[in-house]
Amino acid sequence: MVDTEAQIIENKNIVLDYFLLKLKLAKTMGKIMPGQFIMLKIPGNEVFLRRPFSIYDYDKDILTVMYKVVGKGTEILSKTSKDNSAFVLGPLGNGFRVNKRDVYLTVAGGIGIAGIHFLIKTLKEKASVFFGCSSNIETTLLKDITHLNPMISTLDGSYGYKGNVVEMLTNYLETVENVDQELFICGPEGMLKSLKASINKSKISCQALVEERMACGLGLCFGCVKKTIDENEPYKRVCKEGPVFDLWEISL
Amino acid sequence: MGNIPLELFGKTLKNPVMNASGTLGYGKEIEPLWGVETLGCYVTKGLSMKPHHGNPLPRIWEEKCGMINSIGLQNIGIERFFREYFPFFKRKKTPVIVNFFGFTEDEYIGCAEMIKPDKQIVALEMNLSCPNIKKGGIGFGKEAETVYEIVKNVKTVTKIPLLAKLTPEVKNIVEIAVAAFEAGVDGLTLINTIPAAVVDVNKRTVPIKGGLSGPIARSVALRAVYECSKAVPIPIIGVGGIMDVRDALAFLMAGAQAVQVGTATFLDPYTIPKIIMELREYLDVNNYADVKNIIGITHDQ
Ligand SMILES: Cc1cc2nc3c(=O)[nH]c(=O)nc-3n(C[C@H](O)[C@H](O)[C@H](O)COP(=O)(O)OP(=O)(O)OC[C@H]3O[C@@H](n4cnc5c(N)ncnc54)[C@H](O)[C@@H]3O)c2cc1C
Ligand SMILES: Cc1cc2nc3c(=O)[nH]c(=O)nc-3n(C[C@H](O)[C@H](O)[C@H](O)COP(=O)(O)O)c2cc1C
Ligand code: FES
Repeated sequence: MVDTEAQIIENKNIVLDYFLLKLKLAKTMGKIMPGQFIMLKIPGNEVFLRRPFSIYDYDKDILTVMYKVVGKGTEILSKTSKDNSAFVLGPLGNGFRVNKRDVYLTVAGGIGIAGIHFLIKTLKEKASVFFGCSSNIETTLLKDITHLNPMISTLDGSYGYKGNVVEMLTNYLETVENVDQELFICGPEGMLKSLKASINKSKISCQALVEERMACGLGLCFGCVKKTIDENEPYKRVCKEGPVFDLWEISL
Repeated sequence: MGNIPLELFGKTLKNPVMNASGTLGYGKEIEPLWGVETLGCYVTKGLSMKPHHGNPLPRIWEEKCGMINSIGLQNIGIERFFREYFPFFKRKKTPVIVNFFGFTEDEYIGCAEMIKPDKQIVALEMNLSCPNIKKGGIGFGKEAETVYEIVKNVKTVTKIPLLAKLTPEVKNIVEIAVAAFEAGVDGLTLINTIPAAVVDVNKRTVPIKGGLSGPIARSVALRAVYECSKAVPIPIIGVGGIMDVRDALAFLMAGAQAVQVGTATFLDPYTIPKIIMELREYLDVNNYADVKNIIGITHDQ
């Protein structure tokens, strides 16, 4: 783990509010696990705390983050130009554990693709990709994984399955029985909730990447907790014990 | 090199810089970046007699120049802390201040009784900012009489030096400091977070009420340290909005014997080691042989 200065080498609007940020790190972060994240210091003085972002891609000293503009910090970030410097703390948290399976199902909703992209890249052809978004415009986000033939759902029906990604996935799961498979999911809380309600715990294991507001990202402040079913420790830190949890162990 | 060791309650600390309670987890979390042995002293997260789960979300909110937290004192309890974490501080030969709290006076007394003296424990730090359940939620630290009574009673059950950590949400903090001193407290930690709230204008709600910390709290804390250190002859530890060595120096010059750094660590996890190094440099460059020589220097004006 390092806290290192980084140079912004690219900050590109991909589509709608989605951006791709490439950073050149002054020090390499070492080995990372898909699903791990960084705490990024947004350049400028208006944002007090750092912001957490998943590692979208990483190679030696080049780190890529995909982000969506949702508020003050990401707005400022989207206007930050090339050659600006920033601070990157990482890699943080526990990522996805890739147990030996026949089939890996990766599921993302919207910007959730940012959290699961590096896992998809690591699994290569072994990954089945399910992606849910609003309309065909967002399918651009999958540009570098089209060779994996992602299954896409759009809410407006402008591309692929019409409806949400959880429906598309459960339909798919009904067609495959007795397969040694594991689910990896990243998306809004509502999506995790509906997935939990529609799949069978005894039949399928599922690792979910969850998000919470963070101050330190290191497990120091206990600000980022998620409620779990563990009665002894009902609040676990997303940044330290997570951000990837067993879907069946968290209360949504 | 200027000398930065500090004598506190008969123990020698390597330097006068500590973490603020609740801002360095249980200590081990910072190990991937630097070790707790760097600290003059490690201050525990607030501990209670039994484990305490803390508040629901949201627990943190950003402000301009600060943050609001409502962690609600989540902790694993005194017993587990001493079993699972204390041996790590023993091994690292790092002195410890044990921060503790209760929701009734009996709980405060119970905590103090549970913590056995040990050569590694420098002091107990009682957090007087908790709501007193019996008194309908009024903070323990808000009335001079309550502070006097609770300090006096806790003092009778422990041989470990006792620090009272005061809340700034009072009419006159000097009066509270004097009450604690008269009840026999050995030192003061000033200050805890400042009660604050947030309004979400889009949703027209108050998403969080909690304690304000960070640079926004600094001048309030400095005033408390300055006034109280003139009023009572016991060591004062300054805390609130310390972000760099200049801020730390300001607290020492205002009369603090030592400083604690909290929120700054969230922004830059290396803040504490940097302050320690730069404090040494400052003393050198300015020809101070000992950090003692700048403590309370503003009082001589
Ligand atoms: C482990 C982790 C990984 C993440 N990875 C990515 C990523 O790869 N790409 C990406 O775009 N975003 C990611 N996020 C979310 C990202 O951190 C937030 O979108 C960002 O902090 C918002 O900052 P802001 O200043 O723009 O928003 P603020 O002005 O702080 O808040 C604006 C809105 O954003 C929402 N928000 C604030 N913090 C979060 C949060 N932590 N998660 C979700 N919503 C939030 C709030 O509800 C609020 O309504 C991740 C979060 C976590 C915890
Ligand atoms: C996340 C967080 C948790 C805290 N937990 C405690 C605690 O358990 N006990 C306590 O006495 N003070 C606690 N505090 C208060 C700090 O110790 C300190 O007094 C305050 O934050 C001001 O210092 P700072 O501005 O350097 O953060 C906490 C503060 C924060 C930000
Ligand atoms: S953000 Fe501080 S503990 Fe997770």
